[in-house]
Amino acid sequence: MGLAYEFDWSVLWRNPYGMYLLQGIWVTIKMGLIGWIIALSLGVLIGTMRISPWRWLRFLGGAYVEVFRNIPFMVQLFFWYYAGPMIFGKSIQYQINSIIGLNYYVAIIALGMYTASRVAEHTRAGFSSISRDHHQAALSTGLTHPQMYRYVIIPYALRIIIPPLTTEFLTIFKNSSIAMTIGVLETTFMSYKIDSETFHGLESTTGACLIYLALGLAVVKLMGILESRLKIRGTIGR
Amino acid sequence: MKKYFIFAFCFIFAMTLLGSVALADETMDRINKTGKIRVGLREGSIPFAFIDPKVGKHVGFSVDMTYLLVEKLSQHFGKKIKIQPFTVTPKTRIPMVANATVDVEMGSTTYTQKREEVVDFSYIFFFSETTFLVPKDSPIKNIKDLNGKRLGGARGTTNLKAIEDQVAAGRYTPKAIVVVETHPQGFLALKGGKVDAYSTDRSLLEGLRMKAPHPENWKTVDFAIAYEPYGYMCREGNSDIRDFVNNTIVWSIKTGKFYEMYDKWMGPKGVVPIPRSKAYEDYLQLICYPQAKDWWKKK
Repeated sequence: MGLAYEFDWSVLWRNPYGMYLLQGIWVTIKMGLIGWIIALSLGVLIGTMRISPWRWLRFLGGAYVEVFRNIPFMVQLFFWYYAGPMIFGKSIQYQINSIIGLNYYVAIIALGMYTASRVAEHTRAGFSSISRDHHQAALSTGLTHPQMYRYVIIPYALRIIIPPLTTEFLTIFKNSSIAMTIGVLETTFMSYKIDSETFHGLESTTGACLIYLALGLAVVKLMGILESRLKIRGTIGR
Repeated sequence: MKKYFIFAFCFIFAMTLLGSVALADETMDRINKTGKIRVGLREGSIPFAFIDPKVGKHVGFSVDMTYLLVEKLSQHFGKKIKIQPFTVTPKTRIPMVANATVDVEMGSTTYTQKREEVVDFSYIFFFSETTFLVPKDSPIKNIKDLNGKRLGGARGTTNLKAIEDQVAAGRYTPKAIVVVETHPQGFLALKGGKVDAYSTDRSLLEGLRMKAPHPENWKTVDFAIAYEPYGYMCREGNSDIRDFVNNTIVWSIKTGKFYEMYDKWMGPKGVVPIPRSKAYEDYLQLICYPQAKDWWKKK
């Protein structure tokens, strides 16, 4: 009986395992990008709510952030997938559950909503870093409150928060691996699947590591370009 | 350099010595000499071999079969043979039998050709079936009914692999295959209507069903999509002990003791109720080769 582990790197491209990984990468990219669109739009909205002059909006925004930020993502995912549909009662529950690919949709939405809470906090921090003078200057030119945010504060704040958002964008790809636990066939799932079928877990996991690394580097590069394109002298970058 | 040669020589010499010792050791002779049989038993293979938390001892169907084997061995040697239990796991059970740490493994090991190359298997005494758990009023009656249904399975199980392979081979085309992480989650998915049928071993499904608040609302389907035959393991090339195990199994079927033990652990009132299929009943009858009345007597 052989005791030494024999490496067989061909499990990363051999048929059908190479196809597994490609499918996994595609799902990971889709989840990350769609999740990110949700996270960014919802996050900026909630971050803005948190600094609005109306108390109820501030409260709602704060509640959202605290609920989503303080519960582990895996638990949220389980909750939305298994318990979520039960909230609506028996008949609607069965209708929701009969959607094909439900786990995939739930994972994207949960990923977006979880990351939104973090984006909201960065947005709020970005807003807070803009001095009161800008607000007053905007209002004094005759802009209404929403207009002030739309034309002055948000464009400013969004630029400032690009570096922290890069981290969140990276994290959404990494967090998408947790979707494996509800059976989404993404990169990590596929690498585990290759392991269970070939017993070459070291190779398949290394493959998954390299894939995430490549995705991460691509995101960093992309955000770097965005950052240098949009920078305003005197705020970030030199 | 010379030092290495000497070392290598000693090493190889030692290995051959070990090997020859292992081969010369006839299991039956040693049982006779020591008055003990070393049995490999599982700790968590319900209902075949597991530790009963109340008494802290190994119990189960295969453990009862061990008692029967030892009873016959005692009669064979004309003296009391004692059981020396060893705990084995799915990872250690084959090496422990192959390297003669245990004389016989009495658990729930799937008989495969790959394993047969390293150890000897007794007769198959049980078939674990890959089948489906469905709601009581489910329309799924045979394998064709799986077409267009949503099937569930746990990640990394042989059961899920069996479904995927059969779908790839075109035996049926489900609407979707939903993968879950654990069996309880699979049952939850079935309860919530995420899947129409959840698949794993029949024994595990029956275990899940029995733990549900209303077991009568669920059932396992009558058909199976794959079988895993269980056998007991002895060391390669020790045919006397293997014959003895086989004789014990056949004798227990003939005398009805097999069914008593089955009902005790897997009957309607057993730990995990697993109904015996017609095919299984027939199989048990068919393997009963003619036996002398006192087959255990020493010639």
